[in-house]
Amino acid sequence: MTMPARVVGEEKVKIKKSFVKPWMGIKYLFKKPVTIKIPFEKIEPAPKYRGFHTLDWKKCVGCNFCGQICPARAIEMTWLEVDGKMEKRPHPKVDYGRCTFCQFCVDVCPTGALGFTEAYYLSTGGSEEDLELFNWVPIHPDKVRELNEKFGDYRFPVEKIEKKADGTYVYHLRDGSTIEFKILGYGIRPPKKPTPTKPTAKTAEKKETKPAEKKENVKQAEKKEGA
Amino acid sequence: MANLEVPKELREEARKHDMYLTPISKDTYELFFGPQHMATENFSIILKMDGNRIERAIVNPGFLHRGFEKLAEQRPYFTNIALILRICVPESDVPENIYSMAVDEIMGWEVPERAIWIRTTVLEMARLSAWMFWIMGFGNEIGLYTAGQWAAAYRERLMRLFEELTGGRVYHIYTVPGGVRRDIPGDRWLRQLRDTVEYIKSKLKDFDEILFDNYIMFERTEGVGVMDKRFALKHAVTGPNLRAVGVPYDVRKDDPYYLYPELDFEVPVLKEGDSLARVLVRRYEIEQDLYILEQLLDMGPPSGPYMVQDPKLKNLPRFKVPAGDAYAHVESTKGDFGVYMVSNGTHKPYRVHFRGPSQSHGVTVLEELLKGARLADVPVILKTLDNCPPDIDR
Repeated sequence: MTMPARVVGEEKVKIKKSFVKPWMGIKYLFKKPVTIKIPFEKIEPAPKYRGFHTLDWKKCVGCNFCGQICPARAIEMTWLEVDGKMEKRPHPKVDYGRCTFCQFCVDVCPTGALGFTEAYYLSTGGSEEDLELFNWVPIHPDKVRELNEKFGDYRFPVEKIEKKADGTYVYHLRDGSTIEFKILGYGIRPPKKPTPTKPTAKTAEKKETKPAEKKENVKQAEKKEGA
Repeated sequence: MANLEVPKELREEARKHDMYLTPISKDTYELFFGPQHMATENFSIILKMDGNRIERAIVNPGFLHRGFEKLAEQRPYFTNIALILRICVPESDVPENIYSMAVDEIMGWEVPERAIWIRTTVLEMARLSAWMFWIMGFGNEIGLYTAGQWAAAYRERLMRLFEELTGGRVYHIYTVPGGVRRDIPGDRWLRQLRDTVEYIKSKLKDFDEILFDNYIMFERTEGVGVMDKRFALKHAVTGPNLRAVGVPYDVRKDDPYYLYPELDFEVPVLKEGDSLARVLVRRYEIEQDLYILEQLLDMGPPSGPYMVQDPKLKNLPRFKVPAGDAYAHVESTKGDFGVYMVSNGTHKPYRVHFRGPSQSHGVTVLEELLKGARLADVPVILKTLDNCPPDIDR
């Protein structure tokens, strides 16, 4: 059913101009401001505000639905090794440099492993280490909630990501505890098992680096002598 | 215009590098307006000035080009929602809704009543929020900053409501094909919405006093940027700009969708076609939007599911739409906003074309209206046409 358009013309829409009325705004001088003083006051995000992800590693089956639906292609499947054991399925790694916080990944997750919290502060210092912070494998929701309750400022739960030479990552959480695991590879297919060539490659690197250092030392020594 | 003459060496150097600033004569010069200027948002205009009068204006868009339509062809159907809502920032729900309507039509789904009610409410809230955004911009352009600050504060209330309903403040990513993503958070939210509507309604009088009744506003807009009916129809002008030249065209009345056939509201029409008429039409529409929201709240959300029950929705990344095409359009604050979608049966759309109102308002109409205008009138004409630069670039 359609109703005929009720059109109203000049008699209702037009208004008269006034020289006096604009001064009525002065009454707002005696009212309280609506702005708040950040950082002394803060706005609480609404419950279910779309913030950082959480991931229950035990529930995750590595189906890559989240990676397929992601509009910004921010999710990369990662093979992890925890306490010397390789996880049976890959887990998503989220890059917040690309993430649009649409949370379609959470909607499609068939087991409910991926979730989100209200934590949303995405600001750091400008150093390279700080920027690498926002590319992580999300951690267990209970841990994130605990941190949120403890600090209550909705910042990123990880303070520092330490990267070791053998591919071990250490997440230093804000309350001092750490999570340690090893990244074996990326992609949906499992990575190739470590072959015996790896240690040789490492020794070769060491061999390469040592003479270079020596040469430099020699050069420096020569320079010193020359001076 | 004294001292505008460029020194001879500089002029020769400029000619060598083919720069725009070479003065044609003493009083004629080119002026780049934007993209830093607040009124232009994110596009610029090259003005060929003769003293204080504009001889010719060339719109210079493209600062926001992201290739939405091409990108949409490369992503699954649901994923596109997070992309296409960036076409119009102040009311991001409009692209979401037209996209979802088009997919619903191809799928042949009957969207549940509760979802329809939520979608209508969200659209009206988006309109109201966009009006507040417009008051902010328009107030700032004509130098009445107070009204702009108030509007920003009231918009904050609506953003808070959106945050609780959808989880996002500006980009809601809420309406999806088949319904909406979340249910209403409860009766408390409905009460808050009613409070907000009543609050803004009580504040409209203050807006009238400080902005719409203000003689400064009348002085700045009366007789500026006049267009006639024939010109408007030729250039495909829609929305409040068309209503300001005397054509009572409103998609909500002429091609009704959602709950609009059951809702009662008026279509304001003026005949002058100048900036003042456009402002007054918009002012009346704010009242009507508040009235519509009140009616929706009186109706109350019907019970039932908020999403279509379809087994296809279990595998969203590979969600396939049968071959076919559909056109859907809604009335946004800028004008008639439409989408034409063609599906070839795969999990990605074959083609998505958007018909945005800003293409005509912000390019062809603007160039015509700026001819012969004063430099100080450029922001007024821009803001009363109310275009959306990302929609021009697309």
